[in-house]
Amino acid sequence: MTTVSLTINGDRRQVDVEDRTLLVDLLRETLGMTGTHVGCDTTQCGACTVILDGKAVKSCTILAVMAEGAELRTIEGLADGDTLHPMQQAFCDNHALQCGFCTPGMIMAAVNIIERHGTDIDESLVRRELEGNLCRCTGYHNIVKAVLDVAGKLPRASE
Amino acid sequence: MTQKPGKLRAEFRTELPSGWAFDEIEARIGPIRDQLFKQIGQPVRRKEDRRLVTGRGRFTDDFSVPGECYAALVRSPYPHARIKGIDPSAALELPGVLAVYTGVDALADGLGPIPHSPVPSTKFDVRLTAPDGEAPFIGPHLLLPIDKARHVGEAVAVVIADTKARAEDAAERVDVDWEELPHVTDSLEAIRPGSPRLWDEVPDNTLVCSHFGDADATDAAFQSAAHRVRAKFHINRVTAVTIEPRAALADYDKASARSTLYAGSGGAVRQKRELASVLGIDPDDLRVLSYDVGGNFGARNRVYVEFGLILWASRKLERPVKFTATRSEAFLTDYQGRDLHTTVELALDENGQFLAMRADNVSNVGARCVSLSPLSKGSGLITGSYHIPVAHLVARAVFTNTMCTQAYRSSGRPEVTYAIERLVEIAAEQCGFDPIDLRRRNLVSADQMPYRNAVGAIYDSGAYEENMDKAMALFQWPDIAARRDDARARGKLLGVGLANYVESSIGSPVERAEIAVSPDGEVEVVIGTQPSGQGHETSFAQVVADMLQMPVEAVTITLGDTDIVSVGGGSHSGRSMRHAGTVMTMASADLLAEARRRAGAEFGTPAEDLAFEDGAFKCRATNRFLTLSDLSTATAPLAVARTNEMHAPVFPNGTAICEVEIDPDSCQIEITRYASVDDVGRCINPLIVHGQSHGGIAQGVGQAMWEDCAIDPSSGQQIAGSLLDYGMPRADNVPSFDCEIAEVLSPTNPLGIKAGGEGGTTPALATVTLAVLDALRPLGVRDISMPITPERIWQALASAREANMQELVP
Ligand code: FES
Ligand code: FES
Repeated sequence: MTTVSLTINGDRRQVDVEDRTLLVDLLRETLGMTGTHVGCDTTQCGACTVILDGKAVKSCTILAVMAEGAELRTIEGLADGDTLHPMQQAFCDNHALQCGFCTPGMIMAAVNIIERHGTDIDESLVRRELEGNLCRCTGYHNIVKAVLDVAGKLPRASE
Repeated sequence: MTQKPGKLRAEFRTELPSGWAFDEIEARIGPIRDQLFKQIGQPVRRKEDRRLVTGRGRFTDDFSVPGECYAALVRSPYPHARIKGIDPSAALELPGVLAVYTGVDALADGLGPIPHSPVPSTKFDVRLTAPDGEAPFIGPHLLLPIDKARHVGEAVAVVIADTKARAEDAAERVDVDWEELPHVTDSLEAIRPGSPRLWDEVPDNTLVCSHFGDADATDAAFQSAAHRVRAKFHINRVTAVTIEPRAALADYDKASARSTLYAGSGGAVRQKRELASVLGIDPDDLRVLSYDVGGNFGARNRVYVEFGLILWASRKLERPVKFTATRSEAFLTDYQGRDLHTTVELALDENGQFLAMRADNVSNVGARCVSLSPLSKGSGLITGSYHIPVAHLVARAVFTNTMCTQAYRSSGRPEVTYAIERLVEIAAEQCGFDPIDLRRRNLVSADQMPYRNAVGAIYDSGAYEENMDKAMALFQWPDIAARRDDARARGKLLGVGLANYVESSIGSPVERAEIAVSPDGEVEVVIGTQPSGQGHETSFAQVVADMLQMPVEAVTITLGDTDIVSVGGGSHSGRSMRHAGTVMTMASADLLAEARRRAGAEFGTPAEDLAFEDGAFKCRATNRFLTLSDLSTATAPLAVARTNEMHAPVFPNGTAICEVEIDPDSCQIEITRYASVDDVGRCINPLIVHGQSHGGIAQGVGQAMWEDCAIDPSSGQQIAGSLLDYGMPRADNVPSFDCEIAEVLSPTNPLGIKAGGEGGTTPALATVTLAVLDALRPLGVRDISMPITPERIWQALASAREANMQELVP
């Protein structure tokens, strides 16, 4: 067992974990934060995406002990009380989710796109950036639209 | 341009069976007046989104129960092998291992097979039978087999341990004594004489063989036809890849002797009924919870062995047991889809009028038969959107040493749509007709509706030619030549593929709704469908809100808990909105009738004199009014329940068009445009319906371009076992879509609903393939099979070049 200290959504946490524990398991199993999901075992689906020290990462492919001292943001920490984060709101407004399983990872990845690129983005950049997040329900159309919506830009196609 | 001789209409307008059209009087609902619709038809934002965007969804693996332990499965590495013995001793020695159970233990405890009901059961489904006309032998689906494993990945033992890692470690140490047997994975191989046999009960592996249509008339039409074309296709096997892997948690309460199963599925009621039967317990002793479900697409409709195994184990060990499939397990053992071999033939007269069709469809059901829905659905629709006077079909279902197949998004219909649309295109090319003109000439026309096709399906309503025109306008069809030139200038080959489709939406016939209005104005609706992203909490609330003239926010939909929801067919075959919409409309009428009676008594006026406006009963004489909540009290709540049985299928239809650009050097394909027009009948929520279409298109495109459960015939192993080797639609390989909804109401239900969602998938296999062939036609390519990878394009170009060379050599 190793003690990991990290900040999660602004709260300092100290957690004892087995060395082989994945970051996503620390969240889901140890802390009961089940908003971050697991959809695969080969770092392909992105359902587990969180923002670690300002970068969107797949938490299924990082050991919990590697997050020592890090600042971690998850879907649970995005809204400000009852007010949704603009990306969460845009996902609702544009019907960018159906089953909602990919959604937490998708939103964290999308938030990070805006954080890294600002609002100077277009459809092809968004599509390229989201290539590592799989969604089986939406065909991506409305997800792309939601991200562009946050940036104040909407794609050509109809609803 | 359109030639529809009047005599065809007279001849093919069909006698309607009783109970086909919806009867408002018999159903005891008043006429439904569209003018009152305030919510129906609006793009209402979804009620379910808030919890899902904030990480508060309730997916199966999110649940934990104190003291839970974990199940891991011992799976067959062979496609076909006899189990000579299973030795668990090495596994049991490991710390934390609680038990290892085999099929022999299950038999000793009296566990039964999963009571799959593979033969679709409504009055209008085509009748599939064994070759002798009897009910087909389906191969008992025991939780763990005792004689042999019949496909790679079949579970033969279950290990329970206190952690997931320990359970997995222990599963590797269970020693199975295997005797490998010869195997067969392709259905056409399996029906050859002398092929390996899966079940002694079915020596030639053919569990179903049925004939439909009129063989003699079809033969006669073929003999006298000016043109005949023929083609053979394989619609490849794919898998659902729900992003949430299948999972379940079983909890046993010794005091009450009841089990609770948390398991996302396509319908909790079926899971409860069938799992209770497997365990041999009273259904009342099992509660199934299915809250948020991370995608279904058919794969979660049927019961999985793991669900039964953990229920059984938790009862034996008196501890909660959890199972969450890894993605690799999902690839091997989620119920898979498609896998149809089809041979189709079309006869045409000299003007291009279709005269007759023949089809020979062979469905690969896998190692046992879980569902015949794909074969059955496709059988009724072989003639597609076209008027073909006579047809003959042989439909066969075949066992092979592969994972079982099941309905997968738009079960059976993309397969036959692919076949007919490719056949029509081949006919146009071989007989010298323009492919659009040929389609136009033969489409079933709006005034032929309701139309009975040559194998007996009754298309309810639709304007097929209008769909095609609208889709071509949406796609900006006249600009194709200019875009082709533009692509050529960039060194790219541009191709366009158009497909018309019609599909049947049937599904299990019974649905029940309970509606209660509380004294404080909350409306609670209990219903037995099960969403997995389709937004029922919103669209169902829209329907009830309009019926009761209440705000949509006041309506709460309760589903997914079998202690509350007693009846319900689940969500499949595009049935939910139609069945739920109908029964909710009926229950609303009952509720209003009761409220009217109470209001009349209260006012002391005849109930029929009261007006119902804005959610209140008004007494015209006194101007007094009573709202529904006023009429509900704690002691006498306003509450009703209605169960409805509805058999008549509906036929969503439409047209889709795909444009691709191919780089002839790298053979990379890009989808540059995709347009579709989908007639879904009445559309309750266009936001949701569009979303369904988008997702459906991506899944169809996925099958055409990347997805493939390829099986190596020599080893019987599935080649794709992870998301690294199973190609998926991703944000960067699909375009945005131009979708339009058409609403031709169905006469079979009160709201006129057909279905949405599957229509995106149904034509997509054909549109993509036809677009690629259109692009490659100038280089001599005439055929290509799915998935159309760059490698396949490269091979097709290479063989076309070779053929050209040979033609040049004298
Ligand atoms: S769980 Fe799939 S990428 Fe992390
Ligand atoms: S919304 Fe279902 S996987 Fe994305």
